[in-house]
Amino acid sequence: MVQSVSNWWANRPLATKGLVVVAVPLLIFLGSVAALYSISRMESRAEQDVRLTIAIQNDVNEVHALLAEASSGVRGYLLTGEPRFLEPYDRAEQLVPQVTQRLRGSIRDAEASVHLARIEALASQKREGLSQLVAARRRTGADVVSDPTITAGLAANKQVLDALRGEIEGMQERERELLAARQNRLDYVRFNGLVMTGLLTLAGLVGSLFAVFLFSSGIVRRVQRLERDAVLLAQGEALDEREAGRDEIGLLAVRMTEASALLRAREQALREGEERFRLVIEGVRDYGIFALDPQGKVVSWNTGAERIKGWTSDEILGRHFSTFYPGDDAHDRSMRNLAEAVRDGRMEDEGWRIRKDGTLFWANVVITALRDEAGELRGFSKVTRDITERRRAQEALEHARQEAEQASTAKSLFLSRMSHELRTPLNAILGFAQLLELDHSGRGNTDAASIDQILRAGRHLLALIDEVLDIARIEAGKLGMEIVPVALGETIAEAVGLSLPEAESHGITIKHSIGRVAPVAADRRRLLQVLLNLLSNAIKYNRPGGDVVISAQVAGEQVRVEVVDTGIGVDPGQAGDLFQPFTRLAAGAARTEGTGLGLSLSRALIEAMGGAIGYSPRADGSDGACFWFELPLTAPSALPDLLPVRLPLPNHTADHPLTILVVEDNLANAQLIEAVAARHWPEARIVHAMQARLGLDLALRHSPDLVLLDLHLPDMDGDWVLRELGASFPDLPVILLTADAIAAQSDWTSRGAAAVLTKPIDVPALLEAVEQAIMERES
Amino acid sequence: MTTARKPSDARILAIDDEPANLALVEAVLTREGYRYFEALTEPRFAAERHLAFKPDLVLLDLMMPSIDGYALLDSLGRLTGEGDLVPIMVLTADTTIEAKRRALALGARDIVTKPFDVFEFALRVANLIELRLMFERLTEETPQP
Repeated sequence: MVQSVSNWWANRPLATKGLVVVAVPLLIFLGSVAALYSISRMESRAEQDVRLTIAIQNDVNEVHALLAEASSGVRGYLLTGEPRFLEPYDRAEQLVPQVTQRLRGSIRDAEASVHLARIEALASQKREGLSQLVAARRRTGADVVSDPTITAGLAANKQVLDALRGEIEGMQERERELLAARQNRLDYVRFNGLVMTGLLTLAGLVGSLFAVFLFSSGIVRRVQRLERDAVLLAQGEALDEREAGRDEIGLLAVRMTEASALLRAREQALREGEERFRLVIEGVRDYGIFALDPQGKVVSWNTGAERIKGWTSDEILGRHFSTFYPGDDAHDRSMRNLAEAVRDGRMEDEGWRIRKDGTLFWANVVITALRDEAGELRGFSKVTRDITERRRAQEALEHARQEAEQASTAKSLFLSRMSHELRTPLNAILGFAQLLELDHSGRGNTDAASIDQILRAGRHLLALIDEVLDIARIEAGKLGMEIVPVALGETIAEAVGLSLPEAESHGITIKHSIGRVAPVAADRRRLLQVLLNLLSNAIKYNRPGGDVVISAQVAGEQVRVEVVDTGIGVDPGQAGDLFQPFTRLAAGAARTEGTGLGLSLSRALIEAMGGAIGYSPRADGSDGACFWFELPLTAPSALPDLLPVRLPLPNHTADHPLTILVVEDNLANAQLIEAVAARHWPEARIVHAMQARLGLDLALRHSPDLVLLDLHLPDMDGDWVLRELGASFPDLPVILLTADAIAAQSDWTSRGAAAVLTKPIDVPALLEAVEQAIMERES
Repeated sequence: MTTARKPSDARILAIDDEPANLALVEAVLTREGYRYFEALTEPRFAAERHLAFKPDLVLLDLMMPSIDGYALLDSLGRLTGEGDLVPIMVLTADTTIEAKRRALALGARDIVTKPFDVFEFALRVANLIELRLMFERLTEETPQP
């Protein structure tokens, strides 16, 4: 019950509560005033009653007195006959009706009214008696005594008066009773008023206290509690869910509780997120991940950091991170790193760091400056990796590389010296043998045959030396291959052309069927060497009047070249030894010229160019050998993957295309440049000349925007072309191309070249040089 | 003044540390009819002999033990004054393409690898002598300022 009232009270809106709190004492006050008023009213009424009773008593006495005096006056008049004695009688005649009239108006008491009625009757009887007496006196005159009427009248008057007196007495008595009763009542009323006043005062007091209580319980205490809750909320503590009224304070409390719950939920989520994050960071073992404050003191630490650096988090937290740097200038270096991180946002460093136990490790360190939303520096995160093993491996690798390089250099030097030392005496041998041959030619003596033997042996020795050295160079990686796109068809045609004299001398016919084949990636000179070797073998080991067929076809990403002869072929059991040095299997090898190194060298060369070489019996099953090799294609479509796509060059439209003049005698290089241009500057026009003079003519005709000039041209050297171009077109950028690394180092820019590129052409470098030259020209 | 020198009058300086090769060169040149030939096995005296002998053609071995052949090639090239042309033919046992490029880049007019074909050698020498004589004639016919 109390609870429900309390709830009811709590649920009232604040305005109602305020009204109640103000109204309670006000009502009590008003009630008190009303009560006091009514008490005073009762008291005054009681007093009035008392005063009325006293007035009635006076009036009754006055009636009695008037009648008594009138009676005495009439008796005197009767005796004396003097009218002056009638004066009281007259007055009584006049006043008694007035007084009785007044009494009638003021008497309310029933008993007193009965008395009054009798008194009035008696008074009028008296007055009647007196007037008869007066009339009798006037009639009779002086002799009143003898008059019987008078005597009877007097006697009757006396009776009436007595009766009157008796009535008045009775009335007086009644009035006294009334007076006493009213007096009592007055006293009672006064006492009651006193008590009432006391009670009202008490009620006022209690009411005020109650109002204060209501105010306190309904508002103040709850506001205070709310305030305490707010403090708790501010401190981030949780608020308990509790019964709160539905007034504004209650709603406020509910909102605060909700806010607290929300806060708690968010805090929980945050804590869980942080916990997860912390667990992840702490659990990482391979990376030392920790945080620094803006001064560089360690403020967090993970397992990886402990594992790498040897410090536990208890030991390291609060220490400056320069602890991790070895050396006397540890602090300066560490602070420089921080300053760099502050300046650039992050810094990465590799270097020696020191563990707790004093050992060093090679660390990769990334320091990132941490800034809050306002951009204020809050600290740093530091990620450290122990890459000592990698560093050691690198060092070992570097060491091994240096050793290998030294060994290679030594080998290279040895080869170079060997070459020189072997060739120098051969020079004299062969030279003098040639001179001797000249002197003895045509004489037909035995000397000529001997000299011929010397020359043959010498040349054989020279070929051996060349091929052994080539093989050794390939093995040492010193052959200096220039892998460029090579037009295979042209190269085969050239090899066939070079082999024709030998073929004719053996009566062999060479046929070749080469389709359109994209350029292969090869060293042209060495490819030619391989082709010549295979053709030479096919000619030498052929039957008289036989054929050699050379063909090429694309097979996937490769081109397969086959050289097929009509000789007796190779014994299948010995085919595996074909490419071993000094293996000469074919019948009649003894009388066949050759070093026995040709196929070994060919294999080494082809493999160095990224290809494969092999032997197979003829596909048609007939006698004869089929030697084949495969080389990778360099289709222009293979180029784009290696190259970034460039933006179109400015200010060139279809009406006025970018024109590039390429003066280059190597067709493959020119094709490469055209392929690059087609991809990167599709709007560009390429004009190609293979000779210097033609290049100049084309320049005059087309006014190119750029010239790519090979320094080694068949007719004039590139230097001359450069001068001529400079004379005709002072602003025309010329990019030089040269295979000669030494020539590339000359000061070409002072002679008017925009750039010098070495062959084999590096496509990104070509793109950059061309675009830079064009941009400079445009600007 | 016109001196119509014949090729056989050309002066040829050969520098090689190998006497057998010098002997071969001399034999070939003599056979070709050249009369003024000087052989030098000690390259340190090359500049001195060059200035004294005033050759029309220098035959230079690049691989000699006492001196860097390329440096010698460079310095001999510089001995020839501005506006003059004294061809240098390099004779080397180094067959690498790098050696050829380097020698030619340093001013060699021709390069012959050893062992050489004596006929080819003789023809190349004749070409360079012809070049030298034509250059000489050209400068003599051109009025000097």
